Amino acid sequence: MSERRIEGRVTRRVSVEALARVEGEGAMTLEVDGDRVTGVELRIYEPPRFFEALLRGRAFGEAPDITARICGICPVAYQTSAVLAMEDALGVGVPEPVRRLRRLLYCGEWIESHSLHVYLLHAPDFLGYEGMVDMARDHAAVVQRGLRIKRAGNALVTAVGGREIHPINVRVGGFYRAPSPARLREVAEELETAREEALDAVAWAGRLAFPAFEHHHEHVALSAPGEYAIEGGRLVSDHGLDIAPDEFEDAVVEEHVAHSTALHARLRARPEPYLTGPLARWSLNGDRLAPVAREAAAAAGLPRPCRNPFQSILVRCVEILYACDEALRLIAAYEPPDPPAADVAPRAGVGHGITEAPRGALYHGYRLDDDGLIVNARIVPPTSQNQRAIEADLRAFASASLELPHEELTRSCEQAIRNHDPCISCATHFLDLTVRTR
Amino acid sequence: MSALVVGVGDPYRGDDGVGLMVARRIRRHAPAGTVVLEWRGDPETLLSAWDGVERAVVVDAVRTGAAAGTVHRLEPAVAPAALASGPRSSHGLGLAGAIALGEALGRLPRELRIVGVEGRAFALGAPAGEAVRAAVDRAASAVVDELGV
Repeated sequence: MSERRIEGRVTRRVSVEALARVEGEGAMTLEVDGDRVTGVELRIYEPPRFFEALLRGRAFGEAPDITARICGICPVAYQTSAVLAMEDALGVGVPEPVRRLRRLLYCGEWIESHSLHVYLLHAPDFLGYEGMVDMARDHAAVVQRGLRIKRAGNALVTAVGGREIHPINVRVGGFYRAPSPARLREVAEELETAREEALDAVAWAGRLAFPAFEHHHEHVALSAPGEYAIEGGRLVSDHGLDIAPDEFEDAVVEEHVAHSTALHARLRARPEPYLTGPLARWSLNGDRLAPVAREAAAAAGLPRPCRNPFQSILVRCVEILYACDEALRLIAAYEPPDPPAADVAPRAGVGHGITEAPRGALYHGYRLDDDGLIVNARIVPPTSQNQRAIEADLRAFASASLELPHEELTRSCEQAIRNHDPCISCATHFLDLTVRTR
Repeated sequence: MSALVVGVGDPYRGDDGVGLMVARRIRRHAPAGTVVLEWRGDPETLLSAWDGVERAVVVDAVRTGAAAGTVHRLEPAVAPAALASGPRSSHGLGLAGAIALGEALGRLPRELRIVGVEGRAFALGAPAGEAVRAAVDRAASAVVDELGV
């Protein structure tokens, strides 16, 4: 922190040059003038990755595996949005058993990603540790539980996807091979235990101390009839947004900002930031969760809608519980899709796909030529949609917390960023904290 | 199971892939009863692999300032400094973090040895350098020697 006086006013700069416990490389700077926060920048300095450009000229069938490489935490999200968009472009409908198997694979990724974030990245903030290793010395049972839950997610993704990260079994139209019911029953045993532990975890997360803070961002999430939307649906909000995936590019504008290699997204209809991800999903769709998850959330005191981003750790624990339960339901009813994929033939077309990545809505749009080669690709990850909401949260939270000692303020601001589990690696086209007190 | 070899690295980051290259070399000539694992950074995967193991040897690229291709035998207590200086994964804890976590949770193998291969270039998308590729056989011998089987 630097502090100086200009015409009797104290100005400060709070900065974190390399944010820890976030996925990717970024920094944060707050400019404070007297008792006012005058500037907030979430700076993403991880180099741009140009995935959209390198997709041009590649065959439609390559998109799921190429885009999976954007993220080591949510590759299933990339693969699923990619296959939906390609199937839309190619006029392919997939049979219901294929859709259910996609949802099952996606449940595995939610379990893996959320448990990584809850236990490795976010919980140390609430319990007062520098990181998971320090936390593990005093809270071994909590950490072991997190690791076991994550292992169940890994096992599920491996069983359906072929390996625990960057699955190799996903293709446009469905899957290369359907897992056998016996193979899924093995995973079900581990998921049964994980569901019990996830239930305990919701109660544990409900007892954490949440700073009093509320935001009023527009909550945006997919909505699907009769279920908690994951692998498809319409994009809706609590401000009247209700669009099909093919309307996304008209409804969402992406802008370059000088301080970040990630694009900032906003809704064309409203200049205010919007939020996608667990808080939005819970707030909009929480009534569609399975009873076990709804009841656990109610017992833990989770309000709905939920407007305190610090409670996102609790929402993630509820979603882990739901994903375990939903996976078990899908496995119990599982019949291998035969054939495992719908027939797909190349043709010219335009297609769009949106799914609920662990961090929020992930959009893919492609234009194909007559040979099914990609002419144009557009990918809008949740973190670039959430950047403005994260900056707005930081500004509001820091403004109310300026009396805190510098180190505590810095720590709280980092925690406020981690509330949103930003995936910088996904967004670069993100974190370090500088609070500049001018 | 009594012996475990863990190769650590990223095949798409230049010399960082050497741990995997050594593990693959050993897999072809592994002494009976030896399990070879290629580890990409998920802490639970490594801790689970260590559960109930008598002796584990981990091989990874390191940066200590020595000549590229130098094979080091490191004690876990001193290894973190060399390991931490290498490229870090944003997704996991890295090997040094996983060892610290295993220690905090009492989930280290009874004996843990680390073989490090000095790397120089870790650029994204680059193949491993010549000095590191030439060190794979020597590193594999060091790993088998540390296994003591």
